[in-house]
Amino acid sequence: MRYYINKAVSAAELTRSLPDLIPDAAMRRRMSKMVRMGVATGMECLGKEYPADSVDAIITATGLGCLEDSEKFLRNLTENDERLLNPTPFIQSTFNTVGAQIGLLCRNHCYNMTYAHRGRSFESALLDAMLLFDGDMYRNILVGAVDYTIPAQLEIMQRMGFWRKGDPGEGAFFFLISDQPGENCLGVLTDLQFLSNDEQSEREVSIYNDYEQSGIFPTASAAVLFDALQQLKDGRMKEVRISNSYRNELPSIMTLECI
Amino acid sequence: MRIPVIGVGIASALGINVEDNLQAIAKKRSGLGPVTLFQTHHDVPVGEVKFCNKELKEILGLNVNNSYSRTALLGMLAASRALSDAGITSASTLRIGLISATSVGGMDLTEDFYPEFLQDPRKGRLRMVKSHDCADSTLQIAEYCNIKGFTTTISTACSSAANAIMLAARMLEKGMLDYVIAGGTDALCKFTLNGFHSLMILDQAHCRPFDASRAGLNLGEGAAYIVMAGKEYGGEATPYGYLSGFSNANDAYHQTATSSTGEGATRSMLGALKMAGIEPGKIDYVNVHGTGTPNNDASEGAALLNVFGDRIPPFSSTKAFTGHTLAAAGGIEAVYSLLALRDNMIFPGLNFRVCEDERLKPQTDFQTGVSLKHVMSNSFGFGGNSSTLIFSR
Repeated sequence: MRYYINKAVSAAELTRSLPDLIPDAAMRRRMSKMVRMGVATGMECLGKEYPADSVDAIITATGLGCLEDSEKFLRNLTENDERLLNPTPFIQSTFNTVGAQIGLLCRNHCYNMTYAHRGRSFESALLDAMLLFDGDMYRNILVGAVDYTIPAQLEIMQRMGFWRKGDPGEGAFFFLISDQPGENCLGVLTDLQFLSNDEQSEREVSIYNDYEQSGIFPTASAAVLFDALQQLKDGRMKEVRISNSYRNELPSIMTLECI
Repeated sequence: MRIPVIGVGIASALGINVEDNLQAIAKKRSGLGPVTLFQTHHDVPVGEVKFCNKELKEILGLNVNNSYSRTALLGMLAASRALSDAGITSASTLRIGLISATSVGGMDLTEDFYPEFLQDPRKGRLRMVKSHDCADSTLQIAEYCNIKGFTTTISTACSSAANAIMLAARMLEKGMLDYVIAGGTDALCKFTLNGFHSLMILDQAHCRPFDASRAGLNLGEGAAYIVMAGKEYGGEATPYGYLSGFSNANDAYHQTATSSTGEGATRSMLGALKMAGIEPGKIDYVNVHGTGTPNNDASEGAALLNVFGDRIPPFSSTKAFTGHTLAAAGGIEAVYSLLALRDNMIFPGLNFRVCEDERLKPQTDFQTGVSLKHVMSNSFGFGGNSSTLIFSR
């Protein structure tokens, strides 16, 4: 089975404005940066060429979820001693907020799933999409990964010694995957292997995700995939195998070919 | 689709084994009570698992001085019991996967860490935040149960565990694993209690699903897992039943409220029926999501009418027994649905008195000796996430 990645969008390279992507100003205002960038990136990836009803599933991944909202609610709860709390950050702190809001914005009633499994969150989302395609009822699936840092997390992870191995990273990346190649197809996902912890790095790979380019964050392999697709598209590489094992656990290898 | 379920494990406010849960339901004894796990100003009933963290660690044979989130402890308890119920002892030699769901993860420890950290960012014990992410509880459960195969974590709020069961079934169908243990776990914590309080959907009294006077939900906690086997299964254990259909759909109406038309729930129920290849009339019992909030029950009721017309099968919500256990709810209710199916029982809903619509009257008596062939279980979550499972004889 070949899974065609017909479009990829990074939050760092959005071409449309936020009000264009998320027209509802009140909705935009309620969103933390993580939710706003995730939803905007997902909406740009759907774009005009993929209207809402042409997408059969929306699958998102996040290692740490909506940290800004979680912390805001926790801070209010602590400082106000459980009294008169604004529910908005609680509502938005749910891990599936980004995928749910994309579904809501385009009134898409289809399958909507969210994975939160540390360094394997994004690969789990890809696996889900691949299984849906294998069922032969799905044509286009939106898959994305979103993780944004907050100061409290940077501080805590600093104390844990996390940044000794590299700098913190963040971002939102969405991919439109289809069962057929589109006009601007970037590359083809051909395989995804999940290894056990003692199996890691025994296989030959072309990109070992060392988090140097992307910075360290749980869904950084989505950033690596984004870069690899540009290289496949412009012919710098014919085939690429991306190895990922965030914090030296949950290793996986994805294989891509040029179209 | 016909995936055998060969083991179940449960920890809820009704007890930490199947027998205690069944007995309480048969006697119509609710597990709801006051909050004892932490200090709070909110005087509302909750469904706590009746063991503190230290007791849970002792039961599990863990070092009581080690730090584990309550979410992980509850999960370890239910998952390990599901595995032994399935007769699986040498976990490492088989291709066994774990697909777990949680919505609070290690928040029960993070919220204890945070006040000190807020005063001074150099303070607060780091061991209390290392289990913050959702993956932590899953990986702790995998380690405890010696599961070395595929693991992942799903987090789609209150439908999470049902979604974990769906992914597990799809991986088994594909032959990627021999067995999967799937379900969910969530501990009660200040964060969620205050969250639902801020939404003004906590009932001060025991919840009353589908009753005209219903005024909100009660929070609960717990964990439940089922063990499903792949195509090659030829083991001795008699299956509880078979997962025959499932579906996930999006209500796409509002981030927390559900549509008055029950769009998402209608779609998920119809999708599951289609996969199971059965007519709506074949469903013998529905374990509804039935949180007891005015909004959920109205929406789910509308969806039941959409799907079943005037012939709605016997249905009930078990939330007045356990409280709403969030990401674990789909797992706990899958276990209840399987027990109902295996033993030909229909579970009562508690606290129902005044009917709103004659067609939407939940079962209020514990019934045995009925004949059940197909049981449906609904779970709905924030973001319009709607999931339905069908278990068949």
